[in-house]
Amino acid sequence: MPGIKTIISLSFVLAVGFLLVILSCALFKVYYPLLVVATYVLAPLPNWICSRCSNPDDFVESSGNAVLDLGRFCTGFLVVMGIALPVVLYHSTLINAAAMAMSIIGGLLIYGTIISFGMFFQEDQEF
Amino acid sequence: MEEDRLWKFRRPEWLNSAWVRNGGVYGAGALFSLAFYVLLDAAVWSKSAANGSDVHVTFVDWLPLIFSALGMLIINSVEKARLSADSFSYSGSGVAWKARVVLFLGFAALAGGMAGGVTVFVLKFVVPSVQWPALGMGVENVVANGLVGLSSVVLWISQNMEDEYSYNLAL
Repeated sequence: MPGIKTIISLSFVLAVGFLLVILSCALFKVYYPLLVVATYVLAPLPNWICSRCSNPDDFVESSGNAVLDLGRFCTGFLVVMGIALPVVLYHSTLINAAAMAMSIIGGLLIYGTIISFGMFFQEDQEF
Repeated sequence: MEEDRLWKFRRPEWLNSAWVRNGGVYGAGALFSLAFYVLLDAAVWSKSAANGSDVHVTFVDWLPLIFSALGMLIINSVEKARLSADSFSYSGSGVAWKARVVLFLGFAALAGGMAGGVTVFVLKFVVPSVQWPALGMGVENVVANGLVGLSSVVLWISQNMEDEYSYNLAL
């Protein structure tokens, strides 16, 4: 059962993630790594949208399942995009190695927060 | 069900769980993303200050990936259940035949994309004997097309698991 402690620790982790990403931009005056935040905020969206579109009770038509799969595919795409984007920027010397590491770690923290928040409060809704 | 089996080895049991299936679809998306960003990396690197040579990524380098992605889209849009329909009741007015033709086109596009990647690599990078840091752009092209192929294989396998899974649930 998620209590007040879960919320506090999750928001703390989220703040640390944002801190790392913003620091990776502001320290070096190059603001490309901010894209990572947008990527990870967008990442769970396809799953949410597609789970609304499909009807999980319907086993006769498998089209509902296909929509769910499309959502999962897009989510997988966006999650790897959040890691690949700083690496691409680093490889073409637009940002340096420290900014790359900070934005990857910060992005993973942000995404982990979003996912665990969803997991904790999905259980609440079911009962 | 048991007598219809063609292969000697059974599919391991853990492949039939919903977890593995969903993980496979996520993994396919991840592999496709990796393929796209490997090629994007080549394109960005080509215009960056790190590229000292005068070899640049142009639209020609993107063409194999476009074909691979198109092939993957076609392959995974086909309804798999129609493919194995041997009886008339399922395959109505030759749906299985149409599905096979469309699937063939998809696989042809995918294989054409891979062959195109190797072609670009050989014609643009190996034959003019481009040196290593710039040669990486050609290698990334081949790797990207291979990853798209791998991604569609993973997606195909995890979508074929679906039958057994939903069958178990329906019972």
